[in-house]
Amino acid sequence: MTRRTRLAALKAVLVAALLAFTLFPAFWMLSSAFDARAGAAGQGLLPQEFTLANFEYVLTEGGFDVFLRNSAIVALVTVLASAVLALLASVAVARFRFRFRTAMLLMILIVQMVPLEALVIPLFVQVRDLQLLNTLLGLVIVYVALSLPFGIWMLRGFVAAVPKELEEAAYLDGASWGRMFRSVLLPLVMPGLVATSVFSFITAWNEFIFAMTLLGGATENYTVAIGLKQFFGEHSNDWGSIMAASTIITIPVMVFFVLVQRKLASGLVAGAVKG
Amino acid sequence: MIQRPPAAQGAPAPRAAGGPPGPGGRRRHPLVIARPWLLLAPALAVLAVLLLWPLVRVVLFSLQDYGLREIVSGEANWIGLANYGEVFADPTLYTVVLPNTVGFAVLAVAGTVALGTGVAVLMASLGAFWRTVVGSAIMIAWAMPAVTGTYVWIWIFDADRGIVNSTLQALGLQDEPVNWFTNRWTFYAIVLLNVIHHGFPFVAITILAGLLGVPKEMLEAAEVDGAGPWRRFFSIIVPSLRQVFAVVIILSTIWDFKVFAQVYLMPGGSGTNREALNLGVWSYVESFGQNRYGFGSAIAVLLTLVLLAITVVYVRTLLKEEEL
Repeated sequence: MTRRTRLAALKAVLVAALLAFTLFPAFWMLSSAFDARAGAAGQGLLPQEFTLANFEYVLTEGGFDVFLRNSAIVALVTVLASAVLALLASVAVARFRFRFRTAMLLMILIVQMVPLEALVIPLFVQVRDLQLLNTLLGLVIVYVALSLPFGIWMLRGFVAAVPKELEEAAYLDGASWGRMFRSVLLPLVMPGLVATSVFSFITAWNEFIFAMTLLGGATENYTVAIGLKQFFGEHSNDWGSIMAASTIITIPVMVFFVLVQRKLASGLVAGAVKG
Repeated sequence: MIQRPPAAQGAPAPRAAGGPPGPGGRRRHPLVIARPWLLLAPALAVLAVLLLWPLVRVVLFSLQDYGLREIVSGEANWIGLANYGEVFADPTLYTVVLPNTVGFAVLAVAGTVALGTGVAVLMASLGAFWRTVVGSAIMIAWAMPAVTGTYVWIWIFDADRGIVNSTLQALGLQDEPVNWFTNRWTFYAIVLLNVIHHGFPFVAITILAGLLGVPKEMLEAAEVDGAGPWRRFFSIIVPSLRQVFAVVIILSTIWDFKVFAQVYLMPGGSGTNREALNLGVWSYVESFGQNRYGFGSAIAVLLTLVLLAITVVYVRTLLKEEEL
């Protein structure tokens, strides 16, 4: 073998190994979700008895339809509220020079590093004092706060990228500041707004520790991330249902992720939040 | 990699209501000064009430004997640094929690960055088609939510019917199914696999973006001069991507120090197997399992301080790269 073919063969082996390692968990999740024999002895790599029964079960008797609805409500309200707040704040940070501006940007950056394990104790007390434990509203409030720093940090770049000349032209034409905001700035930062919204959607959809702590007592208000534990039994786990429910949770995240991954990657470096 | 704000960003605020700010002397209209703060007010209010005040509060809790009674009555029972004294006197900290937290973070960061870099180099050498295939595959690993990803790994290693056990038995490598979750080392080996699998795509994509920016001429010139692939990697690629590597390593460190769901959800990970505790889980189970919120807060403050120290390094790295 020449050096060139050896190199090509090595690359092919590496790519194959990488694809196997990377895709196996997702593949195994799907395979088990569609297999009537999931969790039984002798389950094969591919479903031996293909079925939709696992999905049917989790969505009807398993109560997962309710968890999906809860998660959708929580995620959508979080997205809307944090988009509005982050957009206003990012305009301030990107367009104006003012006292404490840098200090505030640093604060926003640093506050994201705080582990949720540290915030969950005081926020549990705070949400409890507001009598919002076991409610979706209590969870939404927390998620808005969690997704806001990254939203500001990321939108800041998009607002700054809008050419100033456009705004100045609008002023010369006699537009008010609010008018300029709506008809010049907003359309141009829309892609950034979509990207940050997707990010806060994923945060709210995936979040585990606050959902577990703040909704602990109310099964009917569970989100998808903690609703999964319904399928764990005392003696054996219903792996077919767990994998079907996991598939349902994963699909929206995958779809959104593909849509914004480029922007997410650059924003992640700046914002330091993992989905 | 990082969105560089255009040069225009450094210019002064748009000239509107108050007229030009003017260099020195002339006073700005109060509305012009207030405007950014009006825009910021709602966000700042949310951040102050829901992130900053809780952060202060967790420190205050850590100085109290804060249990079920205090949480109901709302009374403060100050005990000074006693919680910290107890944390530092607890052998669990030195034999279990710190090794699990720090040892795991070191291995996870090393594994994530090494694999991510390797994959980036591989991807850079592939043609457009296979680069897209590999890119899509690692995107799937990245996008998988931590909770569902963790359940899949638990299922793969399940003691009764997991595919790892049944494969090893079918191959005759083991007679009986093994419960991988009861042993501290195999427990964390599974966490490691999970976290590296979920974390390396970000590293790979980020470093790939940097690699594609390294001038091809430089690498070709080095090759002509007889530099082998390792030499080219360490003498050209690593130095020109130093900043990218720094950011990626620090971010991974921050993430891997505070893994929670990946440990908590595993069998025994929620405190029943005390050998598996790390700082985050220890803080949580002391608080919400034992109702010892003050003690749990002290642990949480320690974790936060560690992350804060790493963050300071991160911010300094970032500041070198771009003007905020």
